Amino acid sequence: MGALRLFERSLFKKNREYFFLLLALANIAIVFIVITINLVLAGQGVRIFIKEGLSFITTSAWSGVKESYGILFALGGTLVTGGIAIAIAALLAIGSAVTIIEILPSWARAFASTLTDLSAAIPTVIYGLWGLFVLSPVIGGLISTPPLSLLTPYLGSPGSLGTSLLSASILLSIMIVPFSTAIIRESLARIPKYIDEALYSLGLTKFEVVMIKLRYIRTSILTALMISYGRAVGETVAVAMVIGNVLNPDFWRIFSPGYTIASLIADQYQNAEAYTYMVPAIFGMALILFLIGLGINIYVSIISRRG
Amino acid sequence: MGASGASIEIKDLRVWFGAREVIKGVSLSIPRNVVFTIMGPSGSGKSTILRAINRLLDLYPEARVEGRVIIDGVDVYGDTADPMAVRRMVGMVFQIPNPIPSMSIYDNVALGPRLNRLVKSKKELDDLVRWALEKAYLWDEVKDRLGLPAGKLSGGQQQRLCIARALAMKPKAILMDEPTSNLDPVGTARIESLITELKEILTVVLVTHNTFQASRVSDYVAFIYDGRLIEVGPSSKIFTRPENELTEKYITGRMVA
Repeated sequence: MGALRLFERSLFKKNREYFFLLLALANIAIVFIVITINLVLAGQGVRIFIKEGLSFITTSAWSGVKESYGILFALGGTLVTGGIAIAIAALLAIGSAVTIIEILPSWARAFASTLTDLSAAIPTVIYGLWGLFVLSPVIGGLISTPPLSLLTPYLGSPGSLGTSLLSASILLSIMIVPFSTAIIRESLARIPKYIDEALYSLGLTKFEVVMIKLRYIRTSILTALMISYGRAVGETVAVAMVIGNVLNPDFWRIFSPGYTIASLIADQYQNAEAYTYMVPAIFGMALILFLIGLGINIYVSIISRRG
Repeated sequence: MGASGASIEIKDLRVWFGAREVIKGVSLSIPRNVVFTIMGPSGSGKSTILRAINRLLDLYPEARVEGRVIIDGVDVYGDTADPMAVRRMVGMVFQIPNPIPSMSIYDNVALGPRLNRLVKSKKELDDLVRWALEKAYLWDEVKDRLGLPAGKLSGGQQQRLCIARALAMKPKAILMDEPTSNLDPVGTARIESLITELKEILTVVLVTHNTFQASRVSDYVAFIYDGRLIEVGPSSKIFTRPENELTEKYITGRMVA
């Protein structure tokens, strides 16, 4: 604050209007950029919808040679990996937030918090490398041996290095846990001490108190998980590295490799211009990804306003 | 509900927060079915004594307790004592009205009985909630909107809701930590008249820094100063013929902190 004020005084002295004009311009620029992005997405994307119609999202086909595009497999892969990731992340994030706030002694609390916060700062490509060379082989090994291998007829089998939709889901969950944990942890810590005292004074056990406190912050938990889901759906690099990048029309077969929308875009954009409709198809996918993110944002703002 | 509250015996209580001794050997004998007021200036250790009675000090990792507290023959700090059982027997009301704001009025009162399995049927729970709200003089104001979130009530109503929540556990004693310090005069008057009626069914241990409140509601008064018991006795005696100079200074408002 102090530095900003000094800056404002020295540069603008009495002409504060210029300073606010500068702020306004920055704001207008951002709005302009967002609008342009959406116009390009819509303008380019609409061409693939004109060509393919609804089958763009209801069929599974991706062939530049045949100029045939249907992204159901990638859309399904996106929703399936995001869904599994968020389910795992919910358990892990709630568990570690409760452990940090309710169980650890205060000196270990700060240490554990910093550690989880730091893991949010690791670049996603590093998660991807670790996921490909450490996590995927382990998961691949697990699902190739009994008892999990018994499910192979239903859920498929992994690609080389264990790449699969499941590996991508688990890697995603690990990537979004720090953020969800931080939000849930802070909400738990913000519950006033007098609420704890009220609950314990009724003779409740620690477990009962924790369950009531989690219910108390359920809106924050839901918000954290939805924002994390938004991140999981859009996450590109790390997923592209472990998901196997195989056109898998049975996207619910999570032991098999597959695609997500984001990983398909990352995988296909280099050679897209060689084909007539692949660029519009990629923009069409991007548009759908954007709409999913927008939907999540709207949902989050509705629940957080209600809560 | 029998008409019998619990007697509470505090023997040479000492409490440390870290290295700092905040209660320096306090002994009190609280008879059943009275209003017993622990009075003293801010920071004298009143609230700490209260939290020692129901082992709420367990929530503060830096707190260490020595001495004994005996409630109706149960040694609260004995080897076999169960803090949860102690807290079910002794209710508590706090300085800040603290219902769970997002939870309904009904659920706030039903919370303790439900989780501690004190009732067998929905009907029994309904009756218990109604009984507790009636005892707290809140029933008539909320009976048509029991599903309303507790946070929507006024401060005074929230505090009476907290009293109802404590009463719903059918405790033998209730600990009140400056229950009116965040309320307006109307809310305060309601709680004070409620306090004097509650002693019919249980023992009330009230903490206040307000000498007027102490004189209005108490049967017995203990004056605490700097973690020590200065004087204790029947309210009539403490307020008319205090033996200690500090007590006299405090009740006449001449104490310089």
